[in-house]
Amino acid sequence: MLRNELSQTILEVKEITKRFGGVEALRGVSFKVNKGEVVGLLGDNGAGKSTLVRCISGIHPPDEGEILIAGKAVKLDSPMDARKAGIETVFQDLAIIPEFDVVQNLYLNREILSTNPVLRWLGWLDAKAMAKRSQKSLNRLSSRIPSLSEKIVNLSGGQRQAVAIARAVSWGAEIVIMDEPTAALGVEQSAQVNELIKLISSQGVAVLLISHNMQHIMETCDRAVVLYQGRSSADVAIRDVDKNALVSLITGASGSLLAESA
Amino acid sequence: MRKLFIPLVCNLMLISQSAGATTIKEENFVTQLAQASKSSQIVINDEQASRLSGKRFTAALAWHGASPWINAVNRGASDTFERYGVKVLVTTDAQYDPAKQVADIENIQALNPDIVLSLVIDGVSAKAGFQKIVDAGSKLVLLSNPISGFVHGKDFAGIVTDDMQGMGNRAAEVTNEYLQGSGKIGMVFHDANYFITNTRDKAFVDGLALFPGIEIVSRQGFVKEHDTSAIASAMMLRNPELELIYVSWDTAAEGVVQALRSDGFNKVKVISHDLGVNNLLDMAQQGNMLASISDRPYEIGSTMARIALLAKLGESMPLFTLVPYDQVNKSNITEVWQHAYHTHVPRIIKIALGE
Amino acid sequence: MSTTTSSLTRSDWAARLLKPQYFIYYMFMLVLAGFALFLNDTGFFSLANFMNIVRQTAPITIMAVGLSFALAVGHIDLSIGSVVALSAIVGAILLQYVGVPLAIAGALLSGVLVGLINGFLIERLKVSSLLITLGTMGIITGISRQVSGLESIPIIDPLFRSLLGNGDLLGVPVLLWWTLSFALIGYLVMNKLVFGRHLLAVGGNPEAARAMGLRTENIRIKALVMCSLCAAIAGLLYAGRMAGARYTLGEADLLTVIAAVAIGGTSLFGGRVSIIGAVIGSWLMGLINNGLILSGFSTDEQMITRGLILITAVAIGAREAKNA
Repeated sequence: MLRNELSQTILEVKEITKRFGGVEALRGVSFKVNKGEVVGLLGDNGAGKSTLVRCISGIHPPDEGEILIAGKAVKLDSPMDARKAGIETVFQDLAIIPEFDVVQNLYLNREILSTNPVLRWLGWLDAKAMAKRSQKSLNRLSSRIPSLSEKIVNLSGGQRQAVAIARAVSWGAEIVIMDEPTAALGVEQSAQVNELIKLISSQGVAVLLISHNMQHIMETCDRAVVLYQGRSSADVAIRDVDKNALVSLITGASGSLLAESA
Repeated sequence: MRKLFIPLVCNLMLISQSAGATTIKEENFVTQLAQASKSSQIVINDEQASRLSGKRFTAALAWHGASPWINAVNRGASDTFERYGVKVLVTTDAQYDPAKQVADIENIQALNPDIVLSLVIDGVSAKAGFQKIVDAGSKLVLLSNPISGFVHGKDFAGIVTDDMQGMGNRAAEVTNEYLQGSGKIGMVFHDANYFITNTRDKAFVDGLALFPGIEIVSRQGFVKEHDTSAIASAMMLRNPELELIYVSWDTAAEGVVQALRSDGFNKVKVISHDLGVNNLLDMAQQGNMLASISDRPYEIGSTMARIALLAKLGESMPLFTLVPYDQVNKSNITEVWQHAYHTHVPRIIKIALGE
Repeated sequence: MSTTTSSLTRSDWAARLLKPQYFIYYMFMLVLAGFALFLNDTGFFSLANFMNIVRQTAPITIMAVGLSFALAVGHIDLSIGSVVALSAIVGAILLQYVGVPLAIAGALLSGVLVGLINGFLIERLKVSSLLITLGTMGIITGISRQVSGLESIPIIDPLFRSLLGNGDLLGVPVLLWWTLSFALIGYLVMNKLVFGRHLLAVGGNPEAARAMGLRTENIRIKALVMCSLCAAIAGLLYAGRMAGARYTLGEADLLTVIAAVAIGGTSLFGGRVSIIGAVIGSWLMGLINNGLILSGFSTDEQMITRGLILITAVAIGAREAKNA
């Protein structure tokens, strides 16, 4: 493999096919991601990136093929299944509730309930505990979020991204999928997000990064998987390629470079 | 129990533009009403009955809404029609919406009935539709509300109405009898342009003029029945000395009775028009409800039917025919109910009366 | 906001006090003060009158709390007025055959049923709640008319009438107890319980809520059931107070309830709810109604003044919200 022999494969996608009506969006996509590795998922519009992400995050279960987590085949029929399997997705639109504050978003659908059994039965929230733990997980990411009680609408794009990433990793995700995390951000904030990606991968979290931005792929990724017309057409180590080579892979100008050969 | 919360928007009747000897004009309306016939004078004799048999007339009934009161009118008309072999083709309910009634009339026109009975919500908008029906040879009999510009004897056979004037006057007399000549009262009146209630409310005020010892110290209008409870509470707050409250009709009076009850004014009496189970029950249990002046919907319906049939035979009918009223109090609830509705008094009232 | 002990600057205080969610309180105080001055000779400013207002407004308040649940998830429920009548009629009819507890249970069940039907239709057909509930409103009103024969159904049971109507508990009208209880329950559900959190999440950003694994359809259905259930409770309170049930009960309340909730700071488009605002908003509506009647204005003048007060309230509220 491209990193080192001791690398442990955390996510493996095998021959995934997904059809929408008569359209084959994915036709046998396969690739692997190792622990602590940052893999870029590249491809032109309509190459199947979004569909693939949705398959892995449990939104659209694939028609054929399998997904393995740490060597075990898993069935991902819902986002909850994916989450239980250790896959967190940071969506392009971030999937946050704008009117909620940071803590409320971090703990959405994983709320900590009161320890009092009666109150717990009623679904009474333990706001203090959630605030405390949120502070911890944000500290771990050395984030620059001003206040945990700040509503998301009042945060900048980079801060929102940080909240979304914090939410993913604070749940002990082993694989974090990020869909265009820097698309809407300025230069400085993009850099912050890149730092964050490096930070979490150094903590052993595998990151699957979808991006159009070649610069960011080159800066943050260890490896790149390229989709072309619904197939995985290339799997290359970033240190082995340059921007132009990636672009020609994406556009289909150069042929297949699959990792199996590497 | 007529449902009278007709939309404010319908500019009702009585606004006659054209002058004609037999069209109805607002200024001479009351005089014409005073010359009205009594419903008991409208009789189909044996000779006329035999002429009717075998004619196989058809009828359509275009009502303004639906309520126990309208049901009773409808029953009175239908029973009479049945007796003389008339087939009722359709009964419509305009849900108090003038536009819906216009559509109903257009639908009726397609059925081409010989007789049409109607309570018109808005004479202005309904006129064109009825004109077509009348021109095709149907006889039209109206309930209470005239259609301005329609000529009696040509466009319509007659108008049947309850004795609104008499009812309002009677309410004033009952008030005087209860207060024995002096006292302060409140009035919760229908604050909308609606002929029947306006006439009765005015007749009540006019009737009280005969009893100078009785003073209306508070008058509050309402548009929706729903509002009378809050109105009565506020009225009592400002005028705790009130001994009696007049309310335009039964359903509206329910809110007033409720307010008096919950605010603890057990001695304040309520007087109103029409019959309703809730207030009759209160009356039977000697609550706030003192009396109600009620018309006879069944008789209104049957009188309308008789007028239509006689007109069909070529008889000339009076412009106005009045149906008498009853005064309801605890002692005659059962009797009046049967008079008015031609049905049995509800079980719950019987129980309350100890019958 | 820094939590240091140093005193807040003046602008901080101003910003805090001008928060849009406080606006309803100012509006309430303003209207109250206005009427108190204007009607100082009428007994307006008396405990008895305030108890009147609370009693008259109790069903509105509870409907407003209920509607807040529907609005939280981004739905509107136009059928609440018709559920009020249905529940009252079901309760009144059942009382002729069974005891008070069963009659109440039956009435509440009718509310739950309507909520479930509304919810399933909206979520399965993916049609706007506005249209579905407009439809169910018609159906329910039709059923109520049919079942009641357009007559008022009297309630003579003294327990029912005092428990849900004119009774007192510790010198306080039961209707005030009911109002406060349901307001408190609504507040706790919305602010302290995980269920309320999820309602707001679904209303705030449905896609995000779904992505986070919330079963948005189920949550929305539950919200509509809560809304209908509150309307059914309101129906029972009407029945108790009126000592009878009629198909027209609640008919005129829908717009009052919507106005109360909106003035109280709840978004009509989901995701932002203030239960306390809805309660104060409904009392404000009752206060305006009561004050205007006492003022001796004619019905026309009352309508015009009510409209003016409402527009002023909403206009100021909208400004404050923008500034915040």
